Amino acid sequence: MSFNVLIVDDSNSMRAVIKKVISISGFKMDQCIEAGNGKEALKALTDNWVDVIISDINMPEMNGFELLKSLKDDDLLKNIPVILISTESSKERMQDAFNLGAKGFIKKPFTPEAVKKILYEVIGASNEKEDRGDNEVFDF
Amino acid sequence: MRFSIFEVFEKMFYIFLEPLDDESTEYDMEAAIRFEGFLSGKIRILFSMDIAKTMIQNMLGLKEDEITTQRMEDCSKEAVNMICGNFLGKLDSTKVFNLTMPSFRMETASIEPGKNACRMNFDSDEGKIGVIFDADGRV
Repeated sequence: MSFNVLIVDDSNSMRAVIKKVISISGFKMDQCIEAGNGKEALKALTDNWVDVIISDINMPEMNGFELLKSLKDDDLLKNIPVILISTESSKERMQDAFNLGAKGFIKKPFTPEAVKKILYEVIGASNEKEDRGDNEVFDF
Repeated sequence: MRFSIFEVFEKMFYIFLEPLDDESTEYDMEAAIRFEGFLSGKIRILFSMDIAKTMIQNMLGLKEDEITTQRMEDCSKEAVNMICGNFLGKLDSTKVFNLTMPSFRMETASIEPGKNACRMNFDSDEGKIGVIFDADGRV
């Protein structure tokens, strides 16, 4: 089973790294949509259905927390699992994120293993590629 | 702070840094971020061109001719953002800090540390970085 993912980060480089890490973690992506901030993410969601959103917190225009609030207020979007990925990892911030409905939190800097673990927890092992022969080497 | 710098460079850029005593090194670009909370201040990271290029190549798997100024800016800003967040989390994970959006410039402005600042320099096989941590006290 493959899935659609929306990656939200104002850094082009970080979006590329996250995409690559997901790919080498053994999860099959059908479609990977990218957005530079929360506003762009909401716009992308009007035209695309995604199975999971991976979002940064500290972004211009609309940050990750504001995006979470907007999703929570939308009946069509509120059940899409959101994983926050950020350098900000105070206990209070993490609790705020979970209170707003985040399903996972990845702290930067991250390893491919950490991303894989959270993806497993949030979208399940059923998404993992059956043939993982080359994916054990996290060379990116 | 040093632990955060090492962790970010090793995990994200596959670059292994060593402390450097020489403060006369010249750098080519700078990324900076300001943080506010029970402790406020600014972190500036100075990069040599060589290390900035290697960071991009290692992080994104790009060839040298694919490196652009935009990618160097992107990568440098991400590095200072991660080091700042990592350091503040280690300093006190129970406290909330607000981080500004990182800034970038292709030249290094005055790198004289202020009176509350400390400067660290690091070397690697791929180039050098300087880090200036400028705390402006409790708010």
